[in-house]
Formats: sequence, C-alpha cells, structure tokens
Amino acid sequence: MKFSLAKFLRLMAMPLLLALGLLPVRVAGQGLDPAALLKPPTDNWPSYNGDYTGRRHSALDQINASNVNSLTLAWAFRIRGSVIKSTPLVVNGVLYFTTPDNVWAVDAHYGHQIWHYHRASEGDHIGQRGVAMYKDYLFFETPDAHLICLNAKDGTVRWDVQLADSKLGYFSTMAPLVIRDHVISGVSGDVTDIPGFLVSIDPETGAVQWRWNTQPKPGEPGSETWPKDSDAIRHGGGMTWMTGTYDPALNLLYWGTGNPNPVLAGEGRSGDNLFTCTIVALNPDTGKLVWYFQPSPHDVHDWDAVQTPVLFDADFKGKPRKLLAQASRNGFFFVLDRETGEHLVTEPFIEQTWASGVDQRGRPIAKPEATPSPDGALVSPGSDGATNWMAPSFDPQTGLFFVNARRLFSVYYNTVTTKAEGWGGRDRILWANSTIRALDYRTGKVVWNHEIGDGESIAGMLTTAGRLLFTADNSGNLIALNPANGETLWHLNMGGELLASPMTYQLGGRQYVILPIDNVLYAFALPQK
Amino acid sequence: MRILSAFLVFCAIFLLVSLGLHSQAQGPPQPTPEQRAAIDRGRTQFQQACGFCHGPDATGARGPDLVRSALVAHDVNGDLIGEVIRNGRPDKGMPALPLTAAQISDISAFLHARSKEAVESSGVPSDYPFEKLLTGHADKGKAYFEGAGGCSRCHSPTGDLAGIAHKYNAIELQAHMLYPDDKPVLATVTLPTGEQFSGIVSHIDDFTVGIRIGDKNGWYRSFPRSEVKLELKDPLAAHRELLPKISQTQMHDLFTYLYSLK
Repeated sequence: MKFSLAKFLRLMAMPLLLALGLLPVRVAGQGLDPAALLKPPTDNWPSYNGDYTGRRHSALDQINASNVNSLTLAWAFRIRGSVIKSTPLVVNGVLYFTTPDNVWAVDAHYGHQIWHYHRASEGDHIGQRGVAMYKDYLFFETPDAHLICLNAKDGTVRWDVQLADSKLGYFSTMAPLVIRDHVISGVSGDVTDIPGFLVSIDPETGAVQWRWNTQPKPGEPGSETWPKDSDAIRHGGGMTWMTGTYDPALNLLYWGTGNPNPVLAGEGRSGDNLFTCTIVALNPDTGKLVWYFQPSPHDVHDWDAVQTPVLFDADFKGKPRKLLAQASRNGFFFVLDRETGEHLVTEPFIEQTWASGVDQRGRPIAKPEATPSPDGALVSPGSDGATNWMAPSFDPQTGLFFVNARRLFSVYYNTVTTKAEGWGGRDRILWANSTIRALDYRTGKVVWNHEIGDGESIAGMLTTAGRLLFTADNSGNLIALNPANGETLWHLNMGGELLASPMTYQLGGRQYVILPIDNVLYAFALPQK
Repeated sequence: MRILSAFLVFCAIFLLVSLGLHSQAQGPPQPTPEQRAAIDRGRTQFQQACGFCHGPDATGARGPDLVRSALVAHDVNGDLIGEVIRNGRPDKGMPALPLTAAQISDISAFLHARSKEAVESSGVPSDYPFEKLLTGHADKGKAYFEGAGGCSRCHSPTGDLAGIAHKYNAIELQAHMLYPDDKPVLATVTLPTGEQFSGIVSHIDDFTVGIRIGDKNGWYRSFPRSEVKLELKDPLAAHRELLPKISQTQMHDLFTYLYSLK
C-alpha cells in the first residue's frame, strides 16, 4: 500500500472535526435498538401500537390543544391500488408501512420513497396492519400466510417461511410483535373451518420456536368445552388476527383470539369453545398459557375478541393494580388484573340486546333468543361488531379509555340445512351509526360521547400529551378532540376515509402526525418558522 | 400441430383471464352447464360409492368430512382424490374402488362444489324461502301493528303497505319492515337574517349541512352549522326507537302479518 500524506492527514483530522461537530455524522446502522421497544415512543414508533402497552398514547406535546388549529401538511405519500390500513413504524428517521403484498420505506422527514417491496400472492387481501422490526430486519405477513424477513436497509428478502396453508383458507393481515428474539406472529381465516394459532419465530433463521394452538388437544384443559365424538374442536376457528401486548416486568404476552367456526351456526359445537373469543396471557418464551378470560363464550355472532388488550397501572378500589382493558367487539368493556387474570369490570359500552346479564366470572350471559335462527334474530351489535380492529387508546393524563363504538342492528339468519360448515348463515345489517366514547376504566361507564355520524367507522385513535385525541368522523373529516370532554378542537375535510389508526413521532425538533386517508399517507405538523 | 396446441392454450388462457376479470365484477364464478352436469353425476356417483362412509353430502360419517379435507383443498381435477380412490387407504380401512377416470373426475367436481358451498355460506341467498320467516301469528302481528308497535301512526295496510310482500324478497322485506333506509331526513335551515330554506338532507356532519331545496330534485345548497339554526325531521326516528325494543316474537308476528298483505 502506498503511503499518501493527504489520506494520512484526513484520517488524523477526522476525530478532531467530528469532535468539533464540523462533519455530518452518519449513523452506521439504522436498525432498531431493542431497548427502544421498552420506552414510550417519541422519536421512534418501533412497533404496531408504538409500545408494548397498546395504549396508543404519545408523550409528545409540540402539537397541542393550544396550537392544533394551525396544523398544516408537511408531506403526503400516495400509493396506487389498495387503501392503507396499516400503522407505520418509524425507526431512525425511516417510516415503514404496508398494504397487502407491499411494503414501503419512506423518509419520515420528507416523505420520499427509499424502497418498495412487492410480492404477489394468493389469498384474502382484506387488509395489512404493518410490519415488526428486530435490529436491521423487518417482518411482514402476506395474504398467503407467509412471514417474510426483509433487510430494512433496502427491502431485500432474508428469508420467507410459510406460517399456514393458504389452500385451506388461511391468510395473514397482522403486524407481528417482537419480544427479545421472538417474532410473535398470528394468522387469519374466515370462511373455512380451520383452527387458529400463534407462533413464535426466530428472527435470524425463521425457525419455529413455539406454537400455541387456540384449540386445546382432546384431553387437555379447555377441551371439555367442545363436544366429544365430533371433529368440531379441530375445525373451531379462533384466529389470532391482531397484534397483542406485553408486560416486560411480568414477562406475560397478552393476545385476543377470534370467533369460533362455523361462525353463526353453533349447534355442532356446543360448549364455551375455549380458547376462541378469549384474552389469553402466555409466557412469550415458551408459549405456555398462564391465564385466560373469555369475553364471548360460545360465540355465534362473529364477535372475535381480538381488540387490543390495553395495559396500564392505576388505582382500582383504592389499590394500585396492574390492569388490562379491552373494549370487545361484542359491545362489552372488560377490565382484568393482568397479573392473575382476575376479572374486575364488565360493562356494556354501547346499547346491546344480546346479553341478559353478567355471570359470576364476569362473562356476559347470552339470551337464547339472540341466537341466529332460520327466521332471523334481531340483535345489536351486528356481526361487524360494536367495535372492531381499529385501535382504542388509553390516556394516562385523563385516565380515560377511548373506543370507536357503533350502534349496529342486524338480523342474523342461520341458513344451515345439513351439517354446518363455513359461516352457516349471515346477518343483514339494518342500521349503523358510530360514536367516539370515553370510558371510566373503574366502572366502564361512558364519561363522554362524541357522535361521528351514520355508518360503520373503522378509524383508529391516538392520544398525545398535547391533550389531543386524533381520529376521524364518518363524513371524511379528520378531527382532534379534547380527551377530557370530547369537544372538537380541529377538523379538516380530507375527502376520504381514515381506514387505519394514527401515529406520531418527532424528528429534527418537529412533531409529525401520520393520518392515512384511503391510499395516501398524510404527515401533519406545525408550520415551520 | 404444435402451433395449433399453442393457439388452443392461448385461447384457453384468454378465456380464463376474461372469465376471471368478468367474475371480479360479478361475484364468484358460477359453474357452466357442463360443470353443473359433472357435479350432478359426481353427487350420484359419490353417494353410491362413498356416501356410506363419508356421508351422502360428504360431511363425514364413519369416514372423515371431505368438505373440510386438506387433500380436497389441494386437489386439482382429481389428481389427489383419484389416487386415494384407486389405491384406497388400507391402513384406515378404506378399500380401493375400481372407478373410471371419468367417474373420478365427476366425484372430484362434486367435492370441490361442496367446499365452495361451505365457503359461500356467508351469504343468505336472494331466493331464501318466505316460508322460513313465517313463524309468527298474523293476528298478533296485526294487533302489534295497530297497538304497541305504533306502526299504524305512519303506515296503512291498504295505503303505503298494500302489496308490500311482492316488492321484496324475504330477507329484504324483513329488513325494510324493521328499517326502511330509503327515507330521506328533512331539514329546515334558518339564517341569522330570518331567511329559511327547507329540503332534504344531502350531507350532514358537525360542521356543515347540505340540503336539496324542496325535494331530491332541488338545487343543492350548504350552510356552516355554527351560523344557522337547523331543525331536522327524521322519518326513521320511530324505527330506530323500535329496534332495541321489539322482541323476536313480535318481529316474527309482524312479518307474518305484513306477508299476509300481499
């Protein structure tokens, strides 16, 4: 090697220049520091819900109640094809978002595309909720139920594993959850009678670490809630549609499971049908069940219990408790002790007509006449639910739980004439109307109600320390509400629908709020001085 | 010969693609008359050769349910099903069956059709029989119509409801009975000057109201809600009040009564 004086001087001078801050510092790796997953999200939004709690609450307050009226567009990023139902991740200045078959990496400051990954697939393209990240890798689930590991730097594929057989009716929509070196991945299904499961995948190799099946094996605890001498338990549904939450101190993973199959025709699966429509607490290292609570025993209305199990610590009846709250698709709000699974609150958050009361274990008691029947049963809520996959939010400043709730009346028909398979019927929706509701976690009572119009909203929610609640109404308006009383502080007609859940981050001293409308990501911020 | 085959393959692909595109707009593709005939032959064949163990509708008996079978889900034109039929499954007590290629093809068409039926069971067919909904008592429905239901305050069996059962299929008649969502909301807007506009609501949210002046054929005009007085008259308000109150029995009685008005 030839000695070069110029090179030598440059090398010698570099530490000095760096120390003086005269050279632009390039970050060597732009991967995710695992410690970021344990912090409240500010400059990053490193997982589907922003952090493990599922609160969808940000400590950022640059945009706040006093200045939200001056909110302006920072950038927009349009895609072609399907609408955006994902929540982006933001890690080290790069924003990652998805639609079925597609992942984009976008400059989170300016909205320029960095790369785009596309993989055509068979299977149900109903929606895609987003990616998960571990170090320099992204994890993406596909409509044909594969889990793909991408290099976050350039979108190239590291590995591709099949989670389930799409020929049997499995597909995937959810954003996996990374806990240490586990990529916890769920699967979806709808019209075929297939069993649900949750699987933990090695982020380096794609190998299965453990698998938890929604249905127990015959003879295992829970199997007594299915008929004996029948194949019902092997075809019982219970999909793991949505991203769960995690308590690092207790080392417990919380997950909601989907409805049993056949969906509306329950006559061939008498019993509670564990662990469908259930909130389960699992050990994330082994996949072993620690406790469970079932919001909808023996569901016959498609009311999965996959809505985010939101975690927070708060006083309950004078004692500090580690709590888990879910506003469930069946119209009831549940609060549990997340250490033990002890039931604390069951209260409807919307006018419902299917339950006559609550049993000693805190489970709603279904009225027999609300069962789908050949001549129709009029029930609220309809099968789309009193809420659905859109994110709720818990705001520690007001202590309130926010849910996008629906009044929804349907007539449910059981159309089965032979052995029930698939759905076995359907409901005819009569009328739907949506409202944003603030719930008192101690009682489940509605503290305030903000009407957002006729129709079924699927807009998610975000609260911030700026005393703001971001969501949308059913008329194409983005809205920011005062979380304390539900009053509108800002609105803007976007000419389309918020079909995803908002998120926020701060980069270079500027806070951005990302609100996808149909097929465009909009980044809002305060005007630059 | 080669060119001809290539041409035929091209035609087949073109046809499939066109059918595929067509079907996207039209819902799931329906079987052709030839396919339907094969399914029917397959059903008969299946019931004779396989029904004793797998059930006449293939949902299982002594043998497994084939509608939910992974093998059937992976089968293409009998390639996997045929193997099992020809070789049997001696370890599970299934004998080999001496069926022809044509018979196997028909059986596989039938089994795929059964799986498709299960997948499509998430919709109530438009020809769902009225009889299934006629589980109530017309006289009790009439009493409810005139009494507790309060229906007769707005509706008349010889007026707006005359012949109503002819206008809809069973599911839609029941839906329209409970919630006829084709009735517009009426609005009267009063400006600060006292000037008034009346019409039907075209758009409403927390911030603006847009109405068609007079009726649905009128000109559109919008107003900021913070600056006007707005009075709304919703003809469906009574239906919405009824939805959480009406019992299943009352609903079936009322339907049976309405059906009798045809």
